[in-house]
Amino acid sequence: MKTIATIMRASLLAATLVLAGCASFSADSGMGAVQGLAGAPIGKEVIAIRSEEDALAARSLIDTLLAKPLTADSAVQIALLNNRDLQAAYNQLGISEAQMVQASLPPNPTFSIERIAGAGSVEIEARAIAGILSLLTLPARAQIAADRFRQAQLQAADTTLRVATDARRAYFRAVAARSLAGFLVQSQSAAEAATQLSRELGESGTMTKLDQARNQVFFAELTAQLAQARQLASTERERLIRTMGLWGPDTEFRLPASLPRLPGRPSAQPDIEREAVARRLDLQIARMEVLALARSADLTNATRLISVLELAGIRKKVTSDEGTERERGFELELQIPIFDLGTTRVRQAEETYMQAVNRLTAKAVNIRSEAREAYGTYRAAYDIARHYQREVLPLRKIISDETLLRYNAMQIDVFTLLTEARQRIASTTSAIEAERAFWLAAANLGAAVLGGGAAAAEGATPGATMAAAEAGGGH
Amino acid sequence: MDHSRREFMGGAGLVLAGATLVAGRGMASEIPEAVIQESPAMQPPLYPKTGRDYQPVVTLNGWTLPFRMKDGWKEFHLVAEPVVREIAPGMKAHFWGYNGQSPGPTIECVEGDKLRIFVTNKLPEHTTIHWHGVMLPNGMDGVGGLTQPHIKPGKTFVYEFEARRSGTFMYHPHADEMVQMAMGMMGSLVIHPADPKFMRVDRDFVFVMASYDIDPGSYVPKVMTMTDFNLWTWNSRVFPGIDPLVCGLGDRVRVRIGNLTMTNHPIHKHGAPFTVTCTDGGWVPETARIPEVTTDVPVGAMRAFEFIADEPGDWAFHCHKSHHTMNAMGHEVKTFIGVNKDTARKVIRRLVPDYMPMGSAGMAEMGEMEMPMPDNTLPMMTGFGQFGPMEMGGMFSVVKVREGIKRDDYKDPGDYKHPAGTVAYEFKGIVTEPARKGPPPSSTKTKMEFNVIKPGSNGPAKHQH
Repeated sequence: MKTIATIMRASLLAATLVLAGCASFSADSGMGAVQGLAGAPIGKEVIAIRSEEDALAARSLIDTLLAKPLTADSAVQIALLNNRDLQAAYNQLGISEAQMVQASLPPNPTFSIERIAGAGSVEIEARAIAGILSLLTLPARAQIAADRFRQAQLQAADTTLRVATDARRAYFRAVAARSLAGFLVQSQSAAEAATQLSRELGESGTMTKLDQARNQVFFAELTAQLAQARQLASTERERLIRTMGLWGPDTEFRLPASLPRLPGRPSAQPDIEREAVARRLDLQIARMEVLALARSADLTNATRLISVLELAGIRKKVTSDEGTERERGFELELQIPIFDLGTTRVRQAEETYMQAVNRLTAKAVNIRSEAREAYGTYRAAYDIARHYQREVLPLRKIISDETLLRYNAMQIDVFTLLTEARQRIASTTSAIEAERAFWLAAANLGAAVLGGGAAAAEGATPGATMAAAEAGGGH
Repeated sequence: MDHSRREFMGGAGLVLAGATLVAGRGMASEIPEAVIQESPAMQPPLYPKTGRDYQPVVTLNGWTLPFRMKDGWKEFHLVAEPVVREIAPGMKAHFWGYNGQSPGPTIECVEGDKLRIFVTNKLPEHTTIHWHGVMLPNGMDGVGGLTQPHIKPGKTFVYEFEARRSGTFMYHPHADEMVQMAMGMMGSLVIHPADPKFMRVDRDFVFVMASYDIDPGSYVPKVMTMTDFNLWTWNSRVFPGIDPLVCGLGDRVRVRIGNLTMTNHPIHKHGAPFTVTCTDGGWVPETARIPEVTTDVPVGAMRAFEFIADEPGDWAFHCHKSHHTMNAMGHEVKTFIGVNKDTARKVIRRLVPDYMPMGSAGMAEMGEMEMPMPDNTLPMMTGFGQFGPMEMGGMFSVVKVREGIKRDDYKDPGDYKHPAGTVAYEFKGIVTEPARKGPPPSSTKTKMEFNVIKPGSNGPAKHQH
């Protein structure tokens, strides 16, 4: 009895404690964290539209942004406000919060009074059946639900970043495709001019049918290429429209005719690995999963910590054309507790836990590599695009100018001039493609540090780890 | 280009330093100074200070190499070296030549002179000099490999022979000959008659003809060109860079021409007819001379013609192959005569904003317009006279006959002042349409015409546009 009473007392105490610290709905439904994790780093408003006012505010912002020619930033903002898949992810966050609040409430107790009469004594036993087990596990379950909520916030933030990255990429693709089609129009008019001229030369009797046909077939082929380029521009525009969640008259937004100018310098990011490991949301999610798993399996006796990530004492000197850069990283550790259990009862939990730890470690290693790769791609794309701007296009300009001088000096005729113009357009086209590659690489670089890139979808899916956590929780 | 000029100055400096160095080693008595001339302007005739007397020539846009007498030998020193030659104002060529110029200086001597010619090779490859048309010992003929070892870079060879036959001759390499002549290595050699009174003239001009292929915008001739040369030069100059042949009224004038191009040149002089008095073989007997206004100078040949400058005026003097009186032109340029390019102009300007249609009415507009052109490029046709654009280039100059020109005055006397009423003038009266059979030709051509123009081809006759 004494033992039971002690347990009862302890349980009631625990219940009281839990009830005292019981979770309630947050004012922002967890969106504050999403804004902090995803919105703030990319400088955008993140709103879960839950009321008429929210919807009106978002609508008015979207209208303002759509009124002007779209920029990459306005495209991203519109997508964040208007992409319904993203709003659905925010709804999921709300669902998680509701689950957390529910999990933090103690079970409704059942009260019973038993009166036993006999042998001249009456014993009245009042019992509060509160489902001792569930009361006992209440703190643990509440903690798990809180972890899940936190995880849902990270997921929502990750989805936010993904939508933002998608919008940015779609924007640059659409603008580049438009710009390419525009240059082909010019090329086509050169070919058209050559065609007209050769027709006239044919009529005056100075150009053979063969040469006329050669000039005309080029025009004809270019017309087909132009049609393809226009089709591509329209496809890319539709992709952007989908990312931004637009329909109806909203789809008539204007895009600029060309990509933005290249930045004067590429951004130097010597600490990109450290930053990526510290900030990547998918890594944070994975880490939370590991911790939640430990808790649900009641693995509390940490005997040691292991560091799955170490990035200590980076000090390197990079000597490039632009001078010497000293890169300095500082130590970063991501520590995970390792439990020493050793009993068969928890063997499964332990294996499950270690599985998650290994997956986390693999993810962290990949993230570091992805960050390096993204930066390498970004730098190379910048150098290539800049090479076109600084070398190829100026050389093309010299060729054009010199060709015109030779035309003036009657060394070449107008057809050579037109051929040269076409070649210049081909170089300009390559230059646009190089710029497009740069802007896509820049978008991917952001995603490699913050999350939300294509690479984030790779590796162990969150669903799988969630399932493992459930399995662990069963014990 | 500054770069090339610096190189040129440096090169010239080297040559002078080289000559000094020779003197410094106490060899001045053994080798005459190599005189360098860098100006393309025609130098006055060089009257002999020693040796036997003769009536000197003037070299068109050139000069005569001074000599010294030593132990009865007339000694000259030629230096084969890279040079920069102004082809005409606005264009310089990087050539190989002699003593600072291409062509090299004219060598003058007298029938019976003993000649000793030092040849120093400052080229990057071996060379020789062949004395074209001169009768001399076989071993002095200058054919590399055949009659002598080559003159290696840095070496000096000596040619010694007696000038046995008077007349007009040339000199040029006979070693890697195609390249070295395509690069401008040549010069004139004049052997005057022993008797200064024989065939004496008041003015005696000499030049060699050479053809070059220099891409517009470049400086060095393309040495592998075989026939498609784009610059036709007299003494490595083209119109308007060729000096006029200035003559005093009534002067007896001789013009000596050597041809080192790869084609013949029918040389034509306006005004008074002339007679060819000297060919490769020597003086033409008076009874065999034919009065002419055009004489053909074959490849590798020399001709000298004479005339009395008794008609004052500015008389054109040129090769009669019309494309030889043009500078560089693009042979692939289409003929736009009869094409209205206004339709295409707008579309083309979108791509090439400075585009200007040319050639729709012929090419005379080219001679009038001064369009921006590539570096170091002469207009295809150019030059202005007192009445307008002359639309010439290449082998073209003017024989300027004036009253009261002093004996050794070769200065350009300016435009000829035509006596009143002696210049073609515009008719101001009413011009009636010339009577024709049938209707006047229409500007829109018929299908039939196309078929006539291009027989045997399906050509533009069936335009299916």
